[in-house]
Amino acid sequence: MSTKPLENPYIPKPVTIEKITIENEAKDLKSFRLRFVNKEDEKAFTYKCGQFAMISVAGAGECPIGIASSPLDEGILEFTIKRYPTGVVTTALHNLEEGDIIGVRGPCGNSYPMAGMENKNVVIVGGGFAFTTLRSTIRYMLHEKNRSKFKNITIIYGARSPGELLYKQELEEWEKRNDVEIFITVDKGDENWKGREGFVPAVVKQVAPGSENAIILICGPPIMLKFTWPPVLELGFTPDNIITSLERRMSCGIGKCGRCNIGAMYVCKHGPVLSYEQIQELSERP
Amino acid sequence: MLKKADINKFIAAVMNNGYKVFGPVKQEDGVSLSELKTTDDISFDYFNFILPPKRHFFPWSELLYKYKDKTIHEAPLPEDKTILLGIRPCDARSFSFLDNVFIDDKAVDPYYQNRRDNTIVISLACNQPLPSCFCTSVGGTPAGKEGTDILAYDTGDSLFFEECSERGSSFLKLYSKFFSTPDQADVQAVKDFIAKAEKQVLSVNIKNAAEKLKEKFYDSVWDKLSFRCLSCGVCTFFCPTCYCFGLYDERDRRIRVHDACMYKGFTLEASGHNPRPTQSERMRQRIMHKFLYTVENFGKIFCVGCGRCVTACPVNMDIRENIVEVIG
Amino acid sequence: MGGTESIENKLKDAVKDLFLKKKVDIVIGFEKGSLPLTSRPCFIRSSDMAERLVWNASCTNNLAVYLPRFFQKVPRAKKSGTPPPVVGIVAKGCDARSVVGLIKEKQILKENVVIIGMSCQGVIDRRKIESFIDGSFIAGGRQEPGGILEITTGVGDKKKIKVSDVLAESCIECQYPHVENADVRIDGESITASDDGYKAIKAFEEKSPEERWQYFTDEISRCIRCYACRQACPNCYCKVCFAEQTLPRWIGPGDELSDVMIYHIGRIFHQAGRCVECNACVRACPVGIDLRLFTRKLCMDVKELFGYIPGLSIEELPPLLRFELNDNNDFITTG
Ligand SMILES: Cc1cc2nc3c(=O)[nH]c(=O)nc-3n(C[C@H](O)[C@H](O)[C@H](O)COP(=O)(O)OP(=O)(O)OC[C@H]3O[C@@H](n4cnc5c(N)ncnc54)[C@H](O)[C@@H]3O)c2cc1C
Ligand code: SF4
Ligand code: SF4
Ligand code: SF4
Ligand code: SF4
Ligand code: FES
Repeated sequence: MSTKPLENPYIPKPVTIEKITIENEAKDLKSFRLRFVNKEDEKAFTYKCGQFAMISVAGAGECPIGIASSPLDEGILEFTIKRYPTGVVTTALHNLEEGDIIGVRGPCGNSYPMAGMENKNVVIVGGGFAFTTLRSTIRYMLHEKNRSKFKNITIIYGARSPGELLYKQELEEWEKRNDVEIFITVDKGDENWKGREGFVPAVVKQVAPGSENAIILICGPPIMLKFTWPPVLELGFTPDNIITSLERRMSCGIGKCGRCNIGAMYVCKHGPVLSYEQIQELSERP
Repeated sequence: MLKKADINKFIAAVMNNGYKVFGPVKQEDGVSLSELKTTDDISFDYFNFILPPKRHFFPWSELLYKYKDKTIHEAPLPEDKTILLGIRPCDARSFSFLDNVFIDDKAVDPYYQNRRDNTIVISLACNQPLPSCFCTSVGGTPAGKEGTDILAYDTGDSLFFEECSERGSSFLKLYSKFFSTPDQADVQAVKDFIAKAEKQVLSVNIKNAAEKLKEKFYDSVWDKLSFRCLSCGVCTFFCPTCYCFGLYDERDRRIRVHDACMYKGFTLEASGHNPRPTQSERMRQRIMHKFLYTVENFGKIFCVGCGRCVTACPVNMDIRENIVEVIG
Repeated sequence: MGGTESIENKLKDAVKDLFLKKKVDIVIGFEKGSLPLTSRPCFIRSSDMAERLVWNASCTNNLAVYLPRFFQKVPRAKKSGTPPPVVGIVAKGCDARSVVGLIKEKQILKENVVIIGMSCQGVIDRRKIESFIDGSFIAGGRQEPGGILEITTGVGDKKKIKVSDVLAESCIECQYPHVENADVRIDGESITASDDGYKAIKAFEEKSPEERWQYFTDEISRCIRCYACRQACPNCYCKVCFAEQTLPRWIGPGDELSDVMIYHIGRIFHQAGRCVECNACVRACPVGIDLRLFTRKLCMDVKELFGYIPGLSIEELPPLLRFELNDNNDFITTG
């Protein structure tokens, strides 16, 4: 029979909550900065942009959350988590305080094709709080060690209202840089909002650069995705250069529990990152 | 060959060597696969066990760890040396399917693997298929060897043992003193036995099911087909190849519990969105998973034709009819 | 005459008639099952389809379990606001009482249900038949006139068994086989109502608390928590069952005995004044747990304390939905 596994993949590793940031006005989105309790766990947890991890709160359970920090953010992990009133784990997480200990298991799933993005123009389209792993990717690409590897970087990011925009401080910093183009939009602004108004698909149509030597990463709620595919295809992006990340209810995160499949594709194992081309080949279209 | 009269001695010797033996035990409501306390408990008077044997590798519910004093205390991995005796070939085949899921290259399930590594499967060829059986239509036979270490044939007053894996042969060598060499007549008896049983198994035409199912995802047949279903999940709990589970925290511990795609809550997301909101999508998932997705992922139909789902379903959803109805 | 076969023909005719007169959109009935000596639910949508209907002692299911779904919003339906269909339902005495219960609990609309009341001769218990043909299985079988089952066993033997010898326990003890609220009545011979004064329950009550607890424990410890008992029950229409609620979580999801027991105690109590003793839970339970003993005890209590029989009349409110000053309160103080 096969060799014994070195690690039991079901056992979470302890992490301390170092910092909690409330991200939005509705206060149902919080970012958690975590630090591994044990150095060897930190070393073993090597991840790539686009991967996710299973977050455990003792007594409540576990849930999958995309990694929002960049692999180059040494020593820490960041997650931005929405609390659902019906959600056991997310509610428990939001009740925790800095200094509390939770568990992390992973990293799980595949990642964005970072190598394939090198020497290309990269367009990032995000909607709502599905911006987390895209933020990881942006941080990674904008890092001084990496910026030269990528050509033009364009970011289009939208939220329902100004108060719902994530990572506001970082957005401002990116806006100040001259090696990245960033377009921020809200469905509907308020009296203080001086920026762009409009839905993400429409903004994509207006401002997205050409598809020449480019790859586009799109994450957002299903309805946004549905309306973003057509303009993106029209811009000439080929299906294999349109990348997205999917979500399904999960439990194991390692392709065993049978919960997260879309057709024969298990989101936790074969995904969550898929190209538009791969999605079209599924017998079930998400 | 092992004389049935000698089986007690053989089993006693095995138990003496530290094995837990689970075999067919006569109980009030029929024969079930239970732990043998004494060697007298064995009965070969059964068709198949009501419950699927998968639970020996993958229990309904098991403890993964306890959380005490802010630390995780892992439950020790199962190490019992175990014999499963009298498993029917269809069910033994299910083990090799489950191996594909639980022991793959990317992530190995240590609980399953440990149990599997410490267990020797001795199956018993079928001499009396039931009206619900259809193993031969999904690639099995009443004397199949897949997933088993040793296959026994009941030839009347003796059992004919056939080695099916290396583990099986080295195990049998240790107990060779209980066995005699089969003669020509024994071998012939086994051949007749197989031929007779195979003929009795009902055959269902599901040729190219996977190919045809690919086109059926958005077909209206699922609504019609599934309307009778109560989403009770018995078909999946009882299926020897169904492996779905959920991880949960109960007070201070994490457990894993059987779960199944036939339940409404299986895919319900915290936002309230459910990609499989009615029994139609759930039935489609069950049939597609068994006859298409596993074929795409592992090259195998995840059904061994044991018929448990057919007999256990409270409204007689018959997967043999269902699949034919879908692929037309 | 009056055997199930002629009842079957009358039923087919009655259903055809309902369709021809446009009185129903759909009829829930029974058709032949895929295994020997089984029938199963079927959905008749036109008069031609009525030929599929069967009526015999293997028509075991309580079809009322399907009714609520015709009155609920289909999750992926595009447009809402289409009126619910008129549903005919082939009903035994117990099933009809379920229908009435669902009307009273406002899960279905009285105007949209046509109760086709069958004269019921009771249904069989397959486990009993299997014990009759000791050591073999039912390889073939059909019901002959006069309430005789002709069974072919696994070894090829033919056996004749009287339906009355293998009746389900719930039918033997059935107090209300007659359909009171039928919209269409299919007449024929029917089983006589029993009134054994809850003999079995009384006998069980005679046992010591330890013995009773032991029995409960032994039965419940076999439960694999599949919830088939709940899914087969017409009364269990809750969107989220207390057993699976997550915030708060009332019971752990694992196989710890206390959790399993609380599921069962909860289920049993939720049946007080509602259970019609159709035995659907027992038949659905794949491991054969004696669930009836527990629910029947509650049925007895509700009858003795409040004089209430679930589903007999459409008007009378169940005891859990009404309060009267002279309600019996003894059980609160005497336990
Ligand atoms: C790959 C991936 C990445 C993700 N990344 C992120 C991320 O970065 N940030 C983020 O915030 N989220 C993310 N999610 C989503 C996140 O996993 C879920 O929000 C989370 O699992 C909810 O868990 P919970 O324990 O709070 O809810 P659970 O308690 O697991 O779920 C709620 C459960 O309650 C029950 N329920 C009953 N009624 C209802 C009802 N009406 N509505 C809802 N539930 C009901 C259901 O059983 C349901 O499953 C990601 C998901 C995936 C798959
Ligand atoms: S699908 Fe049914 S017949 Fe096939 S292996 Fe599972 S229980 Fe047996
Ligand atoms: S049929 Fe359903 S329960 Fe069974 S293994 Fe497949 S997905 Fe899981
Ligand atoms: S056993 Fe039958 S009723 Fe229950 S979920 Fe399976 S198909 Fe549906
Ligand atoms: S049907 Fe039987 S096994 Fe399933 S939950 Fe009910 S009592 Fe338990
Ligand atoms: S989450 Fe378990 S298989 Fe994907």
